[in-house]
Amino acid sequence: MDPVIIIQMIGAAALGAIIYTIIGIAPGTDETAVLAPVTLVLVLSGFQPVVILAFFISAIVAKKLTDSIPVAVAGIPGGVMAAPMVEHAMILKKHGVPDLSIRKMASGSVIGTLVSVPVSLILANALIPMADVIKEYASPLFFIGAVFLALMCKNRWLALAMIVPFALLIQGLRHLYWGVGAVPADTTVFISFFLGITIGPVILTLFELLNNQKRKNLERFDKKNITLYRTKMEKGFPNPFKILDRKEVGTSALASFLGSLTFFMSPVGMTIFLGETLSSRVKDPVKKAARAISSMDGLTNAAYISGTLIPLVALGIPLSPMAIGPANALFNAPPVFTLEHNMHHVLSTSDFVWATLIGAVIALLLTFYVTIKFSQQICAFVFKRVPHEAMLGLFFGLVLMLAFMDAGWINIGGVLLIGLVAGILHRWGINYGVQFMVLYAAPWIINKIIGG
Amino acid sequence: MSDLGTPTNKQTTIETSEQNIEVWEDLVKIKDLVISLIICSITTLGGYLIAPNEPPKPLLFGLAGALIGFILCSVMIKPKRNFRYEDREG
Repeated sequence: MDPVIIIQMIGAAALGAIIYTIIGIAPGTDETAVLAPVTLVLVLSGFQPVVILAFFISAIVAKKLTDSIPVAVAGIPGGVMAAPMVEHAMILKKHGVPDLSIRKMASGSVIGTLVSVPVSLILANALIPMADVIKEYASPLFFIGAVFLALMCKNRWLALAMIVPFALLIQGLRHLYWGVGAVPADTTVFISFFLGITIGPVILTLFELLNNQKRKNLERFDKKNITLYRTKMEKGFPNPFKILDRKEVGTSALASFLGSLTFFMSPVGMTIFLGETLSSRVKDPVKKAARAISSMDGLTNAAYISGTLIPLVALGIPLSPMAIGPANALFNAPPVFTLEHNMHHVLSTSDFVWATLIGAVIALLLTFYVTIKFSQQICAFVFKRVPHEAMLGLFFGLVLMLAFMDAGWINIGGVLLIGLVAGILHRWGINYGVQFMVLYAAPWIINKIIGG
Repeated sequence: MSDLGTPTNKQTTIETSEQNIEVWEDLVKIKDLVISLIICSITTLGGYLIAPNEPPKPLLFGLAGALIGFILCSVMIKPKRNFRYEDREG
């Protein structure tokens, strides 16, 4: 491999680790919303695919290592995936060992990464022979995926009922753009619709602020009170295998392995299910909580990596919640990547291995060290200096820009419309997975309805 | 999940100081949010539009604009969070 590319990969991985260490800590950040827009911009900017993959792997490892820090330091989840851990971290806090949470979680994350990288690459290679069959049925598979994920929703009948109308909205806008000449006939607007769905909940809230009655009735809060627990400074370079006892290493590794095998399932669901199951037989509350959080963190990390790598290496189509959400830009970011021409097609197996290793190792070295040593200082910095308004503004700005880039000014209205509908669906309990699957299946669904 | 330790739902009794609303799991003040959205939209779209029209420059200018907007907002707007340190308890 060209040394210039390797240096670029290392640089990109370091940058990804630093940016997502900070974003990971900021509370309330959704994985897809923070990872997808930045990755999309990098893909569209024409960076080498290996460099982007190294960046992405580093970003998810760093994000996963750090989004559990605020759980341990202040009892606030730094992301959706960290929510199941709050309860156990609170038990450790109650017993006066909050710093134990951070060390156990971060070490679990390391185990998750170490297990899932080889397992994903092996599993992906084993799946390659089946890839041709799966690829042929990609469109109906997305539809089946939408139905399957809809049935998993809390409001399953509502979710099912919304599939066709939502597909109509997406295809309707595309045909409008073709009709008025906003985009050429061979261009299918995708990226900005995807992002519109992602920031849907925020767009819905923004529209509601314009509604006088709604605004007056909104629940008002004083400042958020955050209690930081003082933690001890760790000496020397931390070793995850010393921080975890042998049983914890075992359950973390097992959870990570199972999490890699179930890459097509919802990572949050698997985390709750396996984390609770694997720790249920431990009696001592502190040991039980430590076992639960280390294995949960290992599992979420593994689910992230395998959910990205397995569909990417084996199939080239995003058939996992992770691939269709945060990692989507690696599969489909027209005009650079399409379902027929993306990282799966342009990278060799050794490219995948190197990019993954460089990304994972750099993120682990930088972020694990920093996480264990300076968790409290970083948390205090992010909580004190980074206002939530700035985070929302950052992603809103990126979405506007990509909407304009996709189809001009008209598309800013289009993306707001998609965001409004997606935000309502999200509030009704229809999760992102269903909506993204419909986005992919929309042309096929409409074709089938009109009998094509 | 349980609400253990998430102080978002805690209502304080002083009505006048309660002016923040919850968007995406954290608190914002409407006025600050509007300012931030305007600043970031202008810097990001502005960066994209003023860039020389040869790809990928518009996107890189846009990304730089987004970061500038983010930093500007972080300096101008105070986070809606209070702090208290708690020592280890046995």
